[in-house]
Amino acid sequence: MIFLKDKQAIVFSLLTSIIVLALYLLFLKGTFVDAVNSGIGGFPELAGRISNDDIDMFANFILLTGIIGSALITVPYNCLTTVVKDRENRIDCDILATPVKRWQIILGYYVSAAFSAILLTGTILTVGLIVLELQGNMYMSAGNVLSLYGVVALGAISATAVFMIIVLFFKSTGASGAFFGILSAASGFVIGAYIPISQFSDSVQTVCNLFPASHITIMLRNSALNGLLDHIADSVGKDAGEPFVDVLKDLFTFKARLFGHELGMTQMPVYVLAVLAVSLVIQTALYSKTYKK
Amino acid sequence: MNAITVRNLTKDYKNHRAVNDISFDVQEGEFFAFLGENGAGKSTTINILCTILEKTGGEAKIFGNELGKDDDEIRQSIGIVFQNSVLDGKLTVKENLFTRGAYYGLGRKEIMKRLDSFMDRFELGEIWGRNYEKLSGGQRRRVDIIRALLNKPRLLFLDEPTTGLDPMSRKIVWDYIDYLRKEKHMTIFLTTHYMEEVRDADHVIILDKGRIIANDTPAGLKNRYTGAKLLWYAGRNPDNDRLIRDFVYDYEADHYIVMLPKKEDFALTEFLYRNNDRIRDYEVIKGSMDDVFLNLTGRKLGE
Repeated sequence: MIFLKDKQAIVFSLLTSIIVLALYLLFLKGTFVDAVNSGIGGFPELAGRISNDDIDMFANFILLTGIIGSALITVPYNCLTTVVKDRENRIDCDILATPVKRWQIILGYYVSAAFSAILLTGTILTVGLIVLELQGNMYMSAGNVLSLYGVVALGAISATAVFMIIVLFFKSTGASGAFFGILSAASGFVIGAYIPISQFSDSVQTVCNLFPASHITIMLRNSALNGLLDHIADSVGKDAGEPFVDVLKDLFTFKARLFGHELGMTQMPVYVLAVLAVSLVIQTALYSKTYKK
Repeated sequence: MNAITVRNLTKDYKNHRAVNDISFDVQEGEFFAFLGENGAGKSTTINILCTILEKTGGEAKIFGNELGKDDDEIRQSIGIVFQNSVLDGKLTVKENLFTRGAYYGLGRKEIMKRLDSFMDRFELGEIWGRNYEKLSGGQRRRVDIIRALLNKPRLLFLDEPTTGLDPMSRKIVWDYIDYLRKEKHMTIFLTTHYMEEVRDADHVIILDKGRIIANDTPAGLKNRYTGAKLLWYAGRNPDNDRLIRDFVYDYEADHYIVMLPKKEDFALTEFLYRNNDRIRDYEVIKGSMDDVFLNLTGRKLGE
């Protein structure tokens, strides 16, 4: 939990999310709204029947899920830089000389980083939901809200597990910082915060969707927007509304494509859990070796 | 009872042997010192004995507990002050000590009880709520020592504890170490490259390139590896030069410096007795630990 004591580190961990927000305020919102309107263009009978408030709310939610998706990459990684700092400053030696078991040390690093990540990204989600609620109707049920928090928790836990393996290879905070630079630059693209992943080729989509964070972002999008999309479909009549909503879902990536196969809301959590399980096995093997120098 | 028993201890790193077949014993309650240059293998040995590093070969026991088998018991019985500060900079002194105490299964009440004795002696109260990273070097070291004593260890490892400290902080640290030795009868295992710090040790081992090159009391080392110097305060003239021509000598300011070969102190006594009518104002200085190290390795410590 030491990470939460370092205000600068918290700000830097949220840098990508801040950039996503800044770009949204500058031009991304316009791009998202234009994309929705171009979707409406394919359904002439819907012209003027979908309220601007709903379109705005849709764009806002795409932003919020993008912010949280990128935070679910950068925050867990930053929380885990404590592992690198402790090795660099030999703080881990101080712990290794105590009766604390080796597995407890590994678990301690993992749990504290995952918990810090859940706390931070959960806070972002809460603030985001409050801001959006003040702007209009979100059409979200309590179940939707709960599932959002559940997905955030799963995202934090899975990303932390993957990064536990990666941080092991860094011996200095300099090297880990350089990697973080690359990570924060790439994370916005990988999870589709700037451009929806569905706009890319199949192979690029596969690469992006190898990362559990992309699945998490798509799951967040589904949980956050299904209510609003149902409302849009209902407001214009199911016959025209449902095909239009399908177009929107294709355009803004509501399913993950992996090696040419589509993964829906039931398969994506399974994929993330599988990555989590494999990562936990690998990290246990690697760390037990590391602490036997 | 032996606090530490080490037999043929070896540690290899890829193509480098950091500790090379060393054996020694440390008696309970003893002040034991490891002397050597950086890279001599001092810290590696300590890290092995503290269960942080795995040994490549040999055997070691701490209070009868075998290293590699009874590590939990060993960890309960030792405290260690590392070369560098190893507490968390972003945490306060209080938070750091509570966290470290929890590693030994200690609750807050018990930790506070144990810290009570440090409050005055180490002026802990005034830095209690301050972030560790904002403390001076001396204050940090004090907290490091307190941290190492939280679990009431029987054996305290001090890995170059005063490196980089100002003289005042060094004195405070050493006063406390003396207190632990004399009042608490704690076994102290010190590594250092400061010669004066091993002066009061019960036993000194000199390490060079991973090997033990000397193992004795400070007095024994001086007797075996250094000679004495006679400072004879007299004007320089041919008669006086002739008197000491059988010795290696030099002249500085107002006195001769006469080098006396090691193990031949009797020669000095005999010489002074024979010339007591001429040599009246003099002093005899025994060899220092610096001389021991120089004679053993051909290098000055720190070169």
